Amino acid sequence: MSADVSDLSLVRRVQRGDKGAFDALVLKYQHKLVKLVMRYVRNPAEAEDIAQEAFIKAYRALPQFRGDSAFYTWLYRIAINTAKNAVVSRDRSPIEYDLDRNNTDESYDMQGRMKDSETPEGLVLTDEIRSTVNAAIDALPEDLRTAIVLRELEGLSYEEIAATMDCPVGTVRSRIFRAREAIDRRLREVFEGGLGRVEELG
Amino acid sequence: MNEELDSQLSAMFDNELPAAECELLARRLSRDEQLKARWGRYAVIGATIRAEGGVRLNAPLASRVSAAIASEPALAAEPAPQPKKRVENRWWQPVASAAAVAGVAAGAILWMRAQSPDLTAEVARTTPVVPAVATMAAAVPASATSQINTGEPETYVVPRMPLRRRLVVPSTELANYVVAHSEFSSPVARRNLLSSFMANEPGTAAASGGSEELTEDVQDDAKTPQ
Repeated sequence: MSADVSDLSLVRRVQRGDKGAFDALVLKYQHKLVKLVMRYVRNPAEAEDIAQEAFIKAYRALPQFRGDSAFYTWLYRIAINTAKNAVVSRDRSPIEYDLDRNNTDESYDMQGRMKDSETPEGLVLTDEIRSTVNAAIDALPEDLRTAIVLRELEGLSYEEIAATMDCPVGTVRSRIFRAREAIDRRLREVFEGGLGRVEELG
Repeated sequence: MNEELDSQLSAMFDNELPAAECELLARRLSRDEQLKARWGRYAVIGATIRAEGGVRLNAPLASRVSAAIASEPALAAEPAPQPKKRVENRWWQPVASAAAVAGVAAGAILWMRAQSPDLTAEVARTTPVVPAVATMAAAVPASATSQINTGEPETYVVPRMPLRRRLVVPSTELANYVVAHSEFSSPVARRNLLSSFMANEPGTAAASGGSEELTEDVQDDAKTPQ
């Protein structure tokens, strides 16, 4: 199985003008990208801004993407460069950044988001999601939990998981799917009915 | 929701779905908001398992990017590798050039050949001579007829073949031309042409007793009024 086949099919759709396919790529990689950018900037809101900029740059550069490397590898490089440039730009004018943030709309917006990210409600929401997912994982049967953890935490392919768990690849696919479904059932309650405060999925 | 579809979605999220199925599901995923929401929750589950601390799982990043992209122009069709296409088209260009040159050369040869009637045409042209002689014999006065019938052998005037006289280009030059352009003609066609030229060569004709005729022809040429 090609390592990047599904990403590539989404990429090709975007290249043909389907913007909805790019939403799927953003949803899939947004957390990874923010985490990556946070190596350069500590603040989560600032990291999200940089990640957003990286996604937009990637969208604009997508016609040049040939699929020689995996989409995420390509996106990763764009995000790293964007983060480095942002840090250099910020370091060149640190005084302006600090002093003017109350005076310009953009800085004010940034400040607002920084505050928002630190609000107790925002923290509670994220914690609620995490605890829900972790509780759902703990409640999984051993074979399902092992399969999903090997996939998500270790990044193993289905074939590698099949070798590790000594079972067919089809069984691995089924176990991972059933694990996700069980977790998602609990998670959907949080997003849709539970807290009622999460308007979007992240 | 269809369980098989969700199973496919899960496999696609892991890049483990066959390409053909990916194409169909990617199309549906880009349009179906419910499916997209599930896809997004799969991403949240993965981020939680990887314990990506500090990352806000409910951040509005995706909707912000989507709003920003909405104001962007849609990407054009898949970029076509223009230089590659040119390279692909180049292979027939030398062949087409060679074919054009060969066509011109063949046309020129045929035209020159048409200027000098071939042997068959010449024979066909001269064949009516015999009935003409017969007609003449019929029109001859009775005295002359009686002279013929009085024992003198019948005579037949063989018409001269002014083939070489009418050649615009000598056969030798034509042969050289064919040899010089031999790369554009097939060996069989080349051999036929050369054989034809050799058959019409003065030296070859001399072997069949035509050298005297040639001399006479030249002399006739000098007398022929222009």
